[in-house]
Amino acid sequence: MNDLALTIVRRLEQTPSHFSELVDAAPHVAWRDFLHAWGEVRAANVLGRDDDGRYVLTVEGVV
Amino acid sequence: MRASQTTSEALSSIPDAEALPTSSAHARKATFRDFLDQLRDAGELTDVDREVDPRELSASVAQASTASMFSSIKEYPEWRVAGGLLATRKRLAVALGCAEDEIGWRFEKGLTKPVDAVLVDEAPCQEVVLEGEDVDLTALPYPLMHRFDGGPYLSATCVVCKDEDGHRNVGSYRLMYRTPTETGVDLVSPSDMRFHYQRKLDQGEPLEIAVAMGVHPFEMLAASYKAPTGTDEFAIAGGLHGAPVELTRCRTVDLEVPADAELVLEGELLPIGWTADEGPFGEFNHISGDVKWNPIFRVRCITMRRRPIFQFLQMPWENDWLSAPVVEAAGLQALRIASVQPRAIRAPAGGCGYWTLIASIKKRPGEGKNALLALLSVAEVKLAIVTDDDIDINSQDELDWAMALRVQGDRDVIVVPGARAKHIDPSVRSWEMGKGGLPTGARLGIDATIPEGIPTKLYQRLEYYKFPNGSREEEM
Repeated sequence: MNDLALTIVRRLEQTPSHFSELVDAAPHVAWRDFLHAWGEVRAANVLGRDDDGRYVLTVEGVV
Repeated sequence: MRASQTTSEALSSIPDAEALPTSSAHARKATFRDFLDQLRDAGELTDVDREVDPRELSASVAQASTASMFSSIKEYPEWRVAGGLLATRKRLAVALGCAEDEIGWRFEKGLTKPVDAVLVDEAPCQEVVLEGEDVDLTALPYPLMHRFDGGPYLSATCVVCKDEDGHRNVGSYRLMYRTPTETGVDLVSPSDMRFHYQRKLDQGEPLEIAVAMGVHPFEMLAASYKAPTGTDEFAIAGGLHGAPVELTRCRTVDLEVPADAELVLEGELLPIGWTADEGPFGEFNHISGDVKWNPIFRVRCITMRRRPIFQFLQMPWENDWLSAPVVEAAGLQALRIASVQPRAIRAPAGGCGYWTLIASIKKRPGEGKNALLALLSVAEVKLAIVTDDDIDINSQDELDWAMALRVQGDRDVIVVPGARAKHIDPSVRSWEMGKGGLPTGARLGIDATIPEGIPTKLYQRLEYYKFPNGSREEEM
């Protein structure tokens, strides 16, 4: 995973988040770079959802 | 758009399709770009020159009083973006070339005179081609639309697939960004594509699909129409145009798409069933929605026009207004099949253009109920109201008056339990079903026509004693 993808994972380790909250946490990142990073997190198959639709990590020790 | 620049250069020998001679064999239908000009001419489209980030597009259009055409997209210099094109009944009427209260009738007229699509060789939608390693969905200005969405979404889609006999099916499905080559796809509700996908899934095989975006509203309306299985929705679009939809063969799947589309994604629905998280998405019922379990769309090839226009639907309104004429036309057809004479019909915004159908009829004894039974058979309509033709169904006050004085709850209300329902209606409790389950619900009909046996004269409206010269203004 690239650094931005790892940053997203670290945030999810701490706080279940809606996608927009992950975007808000990286306000100066180019949109295309964010989408690439999100794609890396997705491809790692480490994501689940809570009851409110927030993303959560389903695997420990990703980072 | 890094990847496409490389491919564009490689394909520079392909002539600009707009410069190609128009086929003389058939009349030319209107294009997506023609529709943008129509909206501009009607004062319903504003050109926005300032740079906009794809994350801000939807919020920007939500605050606009017209549709928007963005010519400068941050990080996406080759793209333009159009949004809110059908966000009002008025703009839909512009598209259909009729009055606002005629959209259902106009759509039905198109249904009755389908025009078969034709195949053409050269296609603007393939001026730029991204295949293999070049496939990258981040090359599209994928908009983030709502605060609680599960990701950015493609919304203005015309999705094509085929059944095992080669019959084409066209529908509209949202696509949530997952990775540069994969999206989620909402295939929860009953549809022909869901049926075809289930059949392939049973065989352990993927279902090939192609997604066309930036097509004329008639193609979008036809895709929204629940046509009888085996009916080509592009022929319905042709009926609306009065000219055939020109199709071109896809490059990597055995499917055809509108040749004048701005953007096409080719690929397959993976045979994984309803297992991948998808949503929430700001739904057409005006609610944020919840997480669903759905298949995954893997993209093999992206084709597009040069300097393409990316279209997104401004939720919920554009989805509602794409639905309304389709539901209204289906209501008119159902009434006629039931030998009831419709006078007016409306799928109001409050019912999201989908769940509520109101009709006035030229009534003969018993036809209030016949009309209700017909209207309640349409799609997932859960509330139908029928009035006599002296009621203006576009006036809520008139409608309330009819329901107040012509309805008895024990005689004029029909409830049909256990009918097909829609997941995104929270009252059907879809969360209680397993993955891939289909909900059912009750349908309610209100016969607000003058009851049989009650003399019409009892509904004689009061009339004011008139000024001698006809009006207050003239008198004063």
